[in-house]
Amino acid sequence: MLMRLAIVLAALPVALVLRLDSGAVAPVVIVAVLTALSALMPGSAGPALLIGYAALAMAFGDGHPLRLGVWIMIPALHLIHVTSALAAVVPVKTKIELAALKAPARRFAIVQAISFGVAAFAAFIPSGPNIGLVELLGLGALTVVIGVVALRI
Amino acid sequence: MSRADKIREAFAQSHGAHWHPTDAYARAVWLGTGLVVAGLFLHQVEMVLFGVPLILSVLLTNKPKGTPTVSVRPVPRGAGAGVVHTVAHLDGADAEIAVVKLPGVTKAVPAHSPDLPVRIRRDAWGPGIDLRLDHLFAGPDGMHVYGPIVGTEHVRTILPPVEHHPSGPLPPRPAGLVGIHRSPRAGDSTELRDIRAFQPGDRLKRIDWRVTTRTGTVHVRERHAEADAEIVLAVDTRTDVGADVALWSSPHYGATTRPDGSLDRAVRRAASMAAGYLRQGDRVALTDLSRPQLNVRSGVGRRHLMRIRTQLVVCVQAAGWSSRVALRKLPHGSVVVLLSPFLDDEIAELAVQTRKHGHVVLAINTLPLPLKPDRETPWGEVAAEMIAAEHRQRLRRMAEHGVAVTREC
Repeated sequence: MLMRLAIVLAALPVALVLRLDSGAVAPVVIVAVLTALSALMPGSAGPALLIGYAALAMAFGDGHPLRLGVWIMIPALHLIHVTSALAAVVPVKTKIELAALKAPARRFAIVQAISFGVAAFAAFIPSGPNIGLVELLGLGALTVVIGVVALRI
Repeated sequence: MSRADKIREAFAQSHGAHWHPTDAYARAVWLGTGLVVAGLFLHQVEMVLFGVPLILSVLLTNKPKGTPTVSVRPVPRGAGAGVVHTVAHLDGADAEIAVVKLPGVTKAVPAHSPDLPVRIRRDAWGPGIDLRLDHLFAGPDGMHVYGPIVGTEHVRTILPPVEHHPSGPLPPRPAGLVGIHRSPRAGDSTELRDIRAFQPGDRLKRIDWRVTTRTGTVHVRERHAEADAEIVLAVDTRTDVGADVALWSSPHYGATTRPDGSLDRAVRRAASMAAGYLRQGDRVALTDLSRPQLNVRSGVGRRHLMRIRTQLVVCVQAAGWSSRVALRKLPHGSVVVLLSPFLDDEIAELAVQTRKHGHVVLAINTLPLPLKPDRETPWGEVAAEMIAAEHRQRLRRMAEHGVAVTREC
């Protein structure tokens, strides 16, 4: 139950940010439905839909690309992913020892540190649709990532 | 390979005793990559930033290797009811989190945590499963799992408990060497049993001349046999009924017998009486009235008590309705203790016939009284009263034929 509660808690800032960002109620309703789906069936497509929807809603929303909502959303969406992953392997009425969550918490902190580093880097590089060098670097880095993942699979 | 086999194999790939990726892994790979790629092509830096943590979480975790296991320190199989403690040892290999289903609670602990204390409750006697530790091991961030694995069943058999009854006032004698129940047969011991008129076949050396002179007819002195009487515990395992008549036709789950039902009472009393008689030095045998192949021959000593208690469990496991009851190969002049709810005439007839054959018969009623009528039917009370009246009549008839009857046990 603890992990499912953590999914709901992680989804709260997502709903709040989307509400403030768009000013509409519809995103909050969608997030609430997807959060309920994720909490009830963490092994389903619910978490992926929730993360995907929130990412698209923020990307195509108005405002600066690195506004406060985006900075809040980066750890929140990652937290939804991690808590859903753990909730999917732990039965509902399970007594979870906090020591068992120490390693995932440490890894979460490392990933977030790197992610915020990338976000900070993105804040300093020039923006605009005609920056071919950045796209080339991004695609190159992505190719490396895909290659590594493909080798692991 | 048939299509069904292929489907079965594909299904087995997603669980079982090997490391396999979870939905979270697929989500991190495909959603993370998709967000980053889409963000790059659509010039949306937010999407890239949301996708980066997912990809990083994949890159920072490796697919675990090795075979994690859960083992349990064995617990004594024949111990009595109560609480037993043991420990479960986790060997997590490359796993990060172990999810173990302990009795009463499921725990998620670090895969390399020290031994987990396990508390086993043994509520009822009989065979049962002490422990089955189903478990699952999860790799970093739950991206890969090993299992779920169905644990090994640790079975046990709890012998029926023995209640120590006071043996009553007895003359001083060497304990455990001879019994207290004298055989009713005549024999060659030195103890006088009776003086009776001479019959053809009597030995001349047994003539009591003093009585013969006084009465004018030839009399002989009869002596007791050297052997003790054998105690035969006869258990009626055909029915297991409780006080609530409404539940008689419904099966009982969770225990070998109904708690405080007729069979439970019979077995407990049989075990206690066997212990009491054996402690006094008597020879005790066990008979299942409907399954003679489960009988235990008479014997003495503590090991024989264990044998009887174990066989009582076997009898209960094989319990069920049988059309016939029989007491076969009874030693001459034995004391027969009949434990039954006496719900049919056949068992009462058996008790009477056994008495007529010269055995001492003690009938112990194991039917829980008073009976509770079925409240859901208007005839419940009448039916319960009819059963109780027939039961009383049956016990009275047995008592009239010389069977010693106990109405409550």
